[in-house]
Amino acid sequence: MAELIYLDYAATTPVDPAVAERMRAVQQEAFFNPASNHAGGWKSDAVVQAAAAALGGLLNTDPDRLLWTSGATESNNLAIFGIATQRAHRGKHVITMRTEHKAVVDVYRALQKRGFEVTWLEPEADGALDIEKLKDALRDDTQLVSIMHVNNEIGTINDIATIGTCCRERGVALHVDGAQAAGKIPVDLSLLPVDVYSITGHKFYGPKGIGALYVADDVVLQPMLFGGGQQRRLRPGTLPVELIAGLGEAANQAQRRLAGDLEHLTRLKRELWNGISNIEGLRVNGQLDDAYPGILNVGIHGDQGVNGESLLLALEPLCVATGSACNAQSQESSYVLRALGRSDAEAQSAIRFSFGRPTSSQDIARAVDLYSRAIERLRAIAPEYVR
Amino acid sequence: MSGDPYSAEVREYFEKPAHAGQLEGVAAAYFEDQGLSIRLTAACEADRIVALRFQAHACPHVIAACEAFCRTFENAPVEHLERFNTAQIMRDLAVPAEKTGRILVLEDTVRSLRAAISDQQALQPQN
Repeated sequence: MAELIYLDYAATTPVDPAVAERMRAVQQEAFFNPASNHAGGWKSDAVVQAAAAALGGLLNTDPDRLLWTSGATESNNLAIFGIATQRAHRGKHVITMRTEHKAVVDVYRALQKRGFEVTWLEPEADGALDIEKLKDALRDDTQLVSIMHVNNEIGTINDIATIGTCCRERGVALHVDGAQAAGKIPVDLSLLPVDVYSITGHKFYGPKGIGALYVADDVVLQPMLFGGGQQRRLRPGTLPVELIAGLGEAANQAQRRLAGDLEHLTRLKRELWNGISNIEGLRVNGQLDDAYPGILNVGIHGDQGVNGESLLLALEPLCVATGSACNAQSQESSYVLRALGRSDAEAQSAIRFSFGRPTSSQDIARAVDLYSRAIERLRAIAPEYVR
Repeated sequence: MSGDPYSAEVREYFEKPAHAGQLEGVAAAYFEDQGLSIRLTAACEADRIVALRFQAHACPHVIAACEAFCRTFENAPVEHLERFNTAQIMRDLAVPAEKTGRILVLEDTVRSLRAAISDQQALQPQN
């Protein structure tokens, strides 16, 4: 197979060389258990503190408000279960959106099975939340709202400041899944009225298997794990020092490079759109200009669609994400795109292109060529009834 | 999903579907189900299929199965269409069991094609 052209940075990013170097050094020089009460442990603890300071710096928050987790899925679980359970005696109504990541949707479904009542908010056509829908859904017994910052499929950015203000006015906790936002767009937790904020390292050039949860000062969580006193007993377990150091270095890099990253991604997105926008039937899923510039999700509408799985194979060696479940077991189309009103066929033909620091204009030009040819080829072999 | 979900044959037939297209004025069959659609056309002389073509809006396994079908039955006696075997084609192409339903759509289309050929032959004057 030809060399891969990776345009799936919303799925994961490569580890930045500086991050890898930092992790290697920590593995060798500070492998100790940071909870140990000796010189080695203190050395590792200093590494953890430095990483917390770096992540706190990126998000403009007190490092003491950050808990280390294994990633956004765990952060989301801890935030949602932790708050919902803690406040269950006050009420069991919770609110989220249909377009949240599975790591939120499935936790809310689990809450439903445990007797909570969930209101599922529908997105607008561009994927964003209409604040009036949230205001209408809030009740006296509402305890928690979860809204993602940047949508992982279409890049839509929610207005967290307005949403948070609305929740604060009603005394409702707000959880934000920031997996696609932290390290990728400016996030200032000193300004955002957010109670808990989920972060993961591998979406912004850090290692996989490490994330964090920001917990605001006055928020009380019930822990999900038990077994030690680490991290204020909220998330016990020996800390993975080298992963934490890697996340800290990724935060340092992000803080330094954020403006340049966004400029680079904006240019690439424009190049891609200019290259493919003349394809018949093509339309953007989500927003073109106001969304996170690292994601462009497009689909073919009407009866001019192509099979998503065949499109993915025809696009090789391009690595992108499709709007279908992307496995042989299921042709289930993206629930996010379905929530935007897309048909099954259109959702299945959708492709999410996502770019990163290493992406070049040459990569985009190749993607334009491969995508255009693949659509043409699959349309050419489709029956007239479909074309 | 573990590793490459497509066998070498599926990749070859998907990338070079030599029988993709359609024949005009010959027996034809169209079937759609499960989000996919298949059209088969067959040109026959006497009791032999002299040309087969397919069109498909489908996943790579089904496109490869259509191509494999055309390669197998082109230049074969019409009656051999009865021998189309879903299980065999799934084994040959290493189609995952979850896609059985999709290959059965091809089987339905093949049956329709066989019927269309019979109808056309019945209309032709007997010597």
